[in-house]
Amino acid sequence: MEKQSAGMADGAGGNKKPWSSPSSAPVSGESLESPSGSHVEWCKQLMAATISSQISASADLINRDKDSLDEGLCYHGETDSEHPSDALNLPALRYGARVRMLQNQVPLLPGENIQTAIQDVMYICPFNGLLNGTLTITDYKLYFSSMERESPFVLDVNLGAISRLETISIPNQGENTKGLELVCKDMRSPRFAYKTEMSLPDVVDMLAKLAFPLSHSLTLFAFQYKEQFPVDGWKVYDPVAEYRRQGLPNESWTISKVNSTYELCDTYPSVLVIPTNITDDDIKRVAAFRAKHRIPVLSWIHPESQATIVRCGQPLVGPSDRRCKEDEHLLQIIMDANAQSHKLSIFDARHCSVADTNKTKDGGYESESFYPSVELNFLEIPNIHVMRESLRKMKDVLYPTIDEAHWHSNIDQTHWLEYIRLLLAGAVKIADKLESGKTSVVVHCSDGWDRTAQLTSLAMLMLDGHYRTLRGFQVLLEKEWISFGHKFSARVGHGDENHANSERSPLFVQFIDCVWQMTRQFPAAFEFNELFLVTVLDHLYSCLFGTFVFNSEQERTAKEVHTRTVSLWSYINSQPEEFTNPFYVDYQHHVLYPLASCRHLELWSTYYARWNPSMRPQVPVHQTLKDLLFLRAELQRRVEDLQRETSTHSRSPASEHSPTHATGTPLHTVV
Amino acid sequence: MFSVKPIKPTFKCYLPPLQGEVTKTIDPPIKKLEPKLLPGEIVVNEANFVRKCISPESSQDDLWGKLICTNFKVSFIPQDSPTKQKFQLSHLLLGDHDVPLTCLEHVVTVNDTKGKKKVLGSNQKLKFNPTELILYCKDLRIIRFCFDEAGPESAKKVCLAIAHYSHPADLHLLFGFEYQGRRYHECKAERLNGSVPRGGLQTAIFDRPSDWDREIKRTGASEWRVCSINEFYCVSSSLPEFIVVPVSLADQDLKQYSIYFTDNRLPLWCWNHPNGSALLRTASVCDPVQQRKIEQRIITAITKSNLQCSEVFSSDLDKCLPNIQEIQSSFIKIRQICVIDPFEESEERWLSAIENSRWLEYVRAFLKHAAEMVYHLEGRNVSVVLQEEEDRDLNCVVSSLVQLMLDPHYRSFFGFQSLVQKEWVMAGHRFLDRCNHLKKNDKEESPVFMLFLDCVWQMMNQYPAAFEFTETYLTVLSDSMWIPLFSTFLFSSSKQRAQCLMDFARNKAIPQGEDPVVYFPPVWNWSQQFSLKDQTLFNNPMYVGKGASCVLNGEVKCFRRTKKYGSILRGASVSLRNGLRGAADGFTRRGSLGSELKPEFSVMKEVVESPSERFIRDWFSRPADQQGLLIPLLTPSHVTLWKLYFLRWVPEACIPMGGSITAYHKLSQLVDEIEMLRDHLRQYKAPTPGGTPNPSPRGPPAAQRRMYFKAASPTDSPPEFLSSTFPFTPVGNLCRRSIHGTPISKFLNGARIWLSTETLANDSF
Repeated sequence: MEKQSAGMADGAGGNKKPWSSPSSAPVSGESLESPSGSHVEWCKQLMAATISSQISASADLINRDKDSLDEGLCYHGETDSEHPSDALNLPALRYGARVRMLQNQVPLLPGENIQTAIQDVMYICPFNGLLNGTLTITDYKLYFSSMERESPFVLDVNLGAISRLETISIPNQGENTKGLELVCKDMRSPRFAYKTEMSLPDVVDMLAKLAFPLSHSLTLFAFQYKEQFPVDGWKVYDPVAEYRRQGLPNESWTISKVNSTYELCDTYPSVLVIPTNITDDDIKRVAAFRAKHRIPVLSWIHPESQATIVRCGQPLVGPSDRRCKEDEHLLQIIMDANAQSHKLSIFDARHCSVADTNKTKDGGYESESFYPSVELNFLEIPNIHVMRESLRKMKDVLYPTIDEAHWHSNIDQTHWLEYIRLLLAGAVKIADKLESGKTSVVVHCSDGWDRTAQLTSLAMLMLDGHYRTLRGFQVLLEKEWISFGHKFSARVGHGDENHANSERSPLFVQFIDCVWQMTRQFPAAFEFNELFLVTVLDHLYSCLFGTFVFNSEQERTAKEVHTRTVSLWSYINSQPEEFTNPFYVDYQHHVLYPLASCRHLELWSTYYARWNPSMRPQVPVHQTLKDLLFLRAELQRRVEDLQRETSTHSRSPASEHSPTHATGTPLHTVV
Repeated sequence: MFSVKPIKPTFKCYLPPLQGEVTKTIDPPIKKLEPKLLPGEIVVNEANFVRKCISPESSQDDLWGKLICTNFKVSFIPQDSPTKQKFQLSHLLLGDHDVPLTCLEHVVTVNDTKGKKKVLGSNQKLKFNPTELILYCKDLRIIRFCFDEAGPESAKKVCLAIAHYSHPADLHLLFGFEYQGRRYHECKAERLNGSVPRGGLQTAIFDRPSDWDREIKRTGASEWRVCSINEFYCVSSSLPEFIVVPVSLADQDLKQYSIYFTDNRLPLWCWNHPNGSALLRTASVCDPVQQRKIEQRIITAITKSNLQCSEVFSSDLDKCLPNIQEIQSSFIKIRQICVIDPFEESEERWLSAIENSRWLEYVRAFLKHAAEMVYHLEGRNVSVVLQEEEDRDLNCVVSSLVQLMLDPHYRSFFGFQSLVQKEWVMAGHRFLDRCNHLKKNDKEESPVFMLFLDCVWQMMNQYPAAFEFTETYLTVLSDSMWIPLFSTFLFSSSKQRAQCLMDFARNKAIPQGEDPVVYFPPVWNWSQQFSLKDQTLFNNPMYVGKGASCVLNGEVKCFRRTKKYGSILRGASVSLRNGLRGAADGFTRRGSLGSELKPEFSVMKEVVESPSERFIRDWFSRPADQQGLLIPLLTPSHVTLWKLYFLRWVPEACIPMGGSITAYHKLSQLVDEIEMLRDHLRQYKAPTPGGTPNPSPRGPPAAQRRMYFKAASPTDSPPEFLSSTFPFTPVGNLCRRSIHGTPISKFLNGARIWLSTETLANDSF
């Protein structure tokens, strides 16, 4: 496969900028002026809430190591965990963040303003009992800090993560004590008690306004956020460069400007890849025949067989079995573009009975009698409402308390893992059809922006090693999800107080979960790490970055998202080492099929159950690997020093000794 | 020797197999298929033109060959020269298609056309000609042979022979006694040349006072002594000959007390904490009249040996942990789910099925109980006495887990083996009965040791750098239970071992005074089973890598040898700093909302935290030192199914190119490289006598390198043979084709096969 790294324009590459070095954490414990620093800290804090400080165990060990080394090998990031201020210099993965809660200040992001601070608020912690402290509300977050205990306690909730606010009753405390529960999208519901006379105006009103700005004619915080990053994440995805990487255009496929003004389809990107041999008029007729005008377009092309993944909305067949000659013709061209196969596989993500129901409502699916040489498969994946309900049940199982005796059966009853299995199994079928069957596939569900995006992007992740890199994965998200109109605003409900809106559904979370499952099955095949996936999900809700706001490319262009907000990838790519999997080995030429079996699917408890202190993850292996990598580099340096010494003394060619490879070559390369 | 009848090719055998397209035809010139036999092994029966099923779906990959039953194993010799799976653990004594007779759980014969099945026992008759033979193995393999081309009589005979020889009438008929006798005499010359004590074994066996003495010194148990009142087993038949007792108790007292304990099993010292507290195990006192008095005396003596604390905590395991029958039935259930039930059917409610088996619940219960004992020893400086009626099952699990958590020595390779030796083999765990090697009493069968290995795996899974060995080692150790060639798992007590081995030595003309470890070696001598290269799969790169960082200037320093339990001592400050008052502290401010709200919300907390839970929680709130105290996380999400053990034979559950092995691969390469670099450094530092440093360019010789995967070029992706089941391969195992619409599993369920070897009631013969 020919590989060209797309989106290298910003040149962040693998070279380490002084900016991204440990200074990403504030140097002294006092101030937080370092722009990025505050942000790394945020993320660390989120992880720290769940991921135990156990990781720094290795620091202990290293210290001891060092004692026994007379040569004074020094380890980066080594720290005495007893001294919190030192811990600030830890890279994020050491999660030393908790200690920064010592200071009584609220860390603020550039552009963030404190709205109010309320003293003597009680946090009703489901794990540690009651805590008395100060609740600070900014236009971005809610920040509760308590100094009562030996170790300071901090809880912070991005306002964007709040799904709804509920007043709860606090028994026997008189009229002026109120209770507040923040039901969050990220699987927690912190509760507070406060006295009303102390806080004017009312906290709930204020929170409602800040947490649901769009319902109050305000803008999302992403438009206020003023952080400057050295890397511009908006340059990560350039559709033309990405298609060029895939070897497009070629004789059968062309990069078309037919949707450059979003006239053909308002939820599609402006750049589309369509067959060469089709006229714009035909395309318009096809658009009329496809749900939401989402015509069949190319997502990915196999570099060898030229088999393609094509995505679209359902055909508007309707109860009267409407036909569209141009649509039939288009699919025929798509099939013909791949000389290796005389079939075209259509994967309809829905259950066949659901597809039938859709047919009575003007939707439907391709009839094999009108589309010769098409084979139709139903993947039987339930719809967004089922998924929403499933994750809601999961929250009940995980938060606040866990029923240890029935843990497994409770997880089973949410069916979450079963749906993950269905999705992965569907994506494996698609990938295998391309790889082994050398057959082009068309994927759609109803509108082609939910399950379709899940399936195509998972299949692409299996087929194309580029998407398993840190940059490549960003391109995958930008392409299959963001540009192709997954309705992030509607599905997440950014800034909207209507929590019961049936448009909401955690489909993107489900997709990231599938990716996580794949990283578990192939621990060395992905360049990004778990922190990266968690960070992506946190900023799905946070509204800090412009990446996941709005429903379509058209809306984003209209709102000037690229100029007025910061991209999540700016933040990520300014410090890629934090999000890199040290085990990464390029499986570039391998198609990786995850095993879609419940035997190997696990509940992603480091994400879903991270608020529960008893659910801390196990000591990650990658920390050991990082230590070892460092040790190797150090030893290599020493061996080379000695070799130089020896060769100058004896003038004998000692350079052959170096065991396998050159100076400090990193085991992985950051793309 | 048994003479093998020459094979007469029949016309029939040249026909292609009945079903499916034929991709492989049998080579016309029939090769002579010779079994590989060990010294003393004889062929008792055999059948030709047998088909071994490889894939559940089609027969096109099936192997044709000869099925042989010897006095040691069931062996299948494929006609086609085996395409050797290069990257798979290969056993020195067993071929890829061999199963030791002791490893057979059930021998099931099937007649496909008549729809008959029978579970064969010893000396049984078979009234139909079998078309299939299915072997259910104790290591969870399931192997199926078809006789569609074999002579019906020879098929029947080989099935009956397998069934018969897998039910030996007497312990002495186990093949190990024949094999080790021959091996001893054959290898005599080699031994005489370079005689090393105990055959070079580095694992403490605890059959002589010096081993106990060393353990006393290592743990600083100055108030304890080795006592030899049980020499020649004159006090108890199940205790080891040498035991450790409080210095304050005289031999005379001990003898007097012993009669009150079940099987005269006096309390056994297991381990000492650096803070002075001790871990002991005991059988229960059988005389209720004397019980209080005896217990009081023992406790007083134990207290005298702990200068720090005058309390002793006694825990009755029979009351709070599952018994051996429950463990057995749980294991049967989880085995059913993992390897017998049809794969797709069990997908749907997988987690619930796992939960229903209760296996993980039991694993959790044992780990949790051990963690509580750790709390008493570490957090309260209190000596702990584990009590079980016979002191031979549950006590073994808990005492060894406690020591694994507290003492990093036992997480080293030799430390772990000596722990098993001390708490299981010498303490009298009834391996013979629990493994049911003689298939005499199914009620006594229970996978207690397997449960322990699973608990160890859980800890290893949570603290991957803390153990010197790998899960492959644990799996291989569990498999070794079913190979009757090692003294470790063959006996139910050290007295039985001593007597059997004495008789054995006499019968085999082994000179008196020869060390039993030499003439009937334990499993710990791994070179009996695996090449040195394969043994490197036992080494955990993360542990080795850390150890390597201490090797400098040719001087070897390893943490695991250090005796200071640095982190253990942290415990003391914990209890002071974070006692029960911690939580209450926060609510003392007067007039604050906190103090007002407190009563109501405290009630909301349903479970009141016990001191041990608090201790454990406190421990978790601090970074863990993998070379110090380790407590496993006990939430159900963290106690998970040991996939390598339970799913390694299931082809459908294998992830090609995936699994944690890919991470292990990379770590191994890195550690190998680090070790080579260290070696270079050492050589530079220690100039050769000639005066000039002369480093060898290749680092240590390959045989000495401790990693299975050697350093390679940095761009290499993991080899494609890696899979989630590595170094085992599910190919050729587990063919669960249904018979006449009835899945094998249903049939087995109906027959209650695991509990009885009787024939199916509805099978009319």
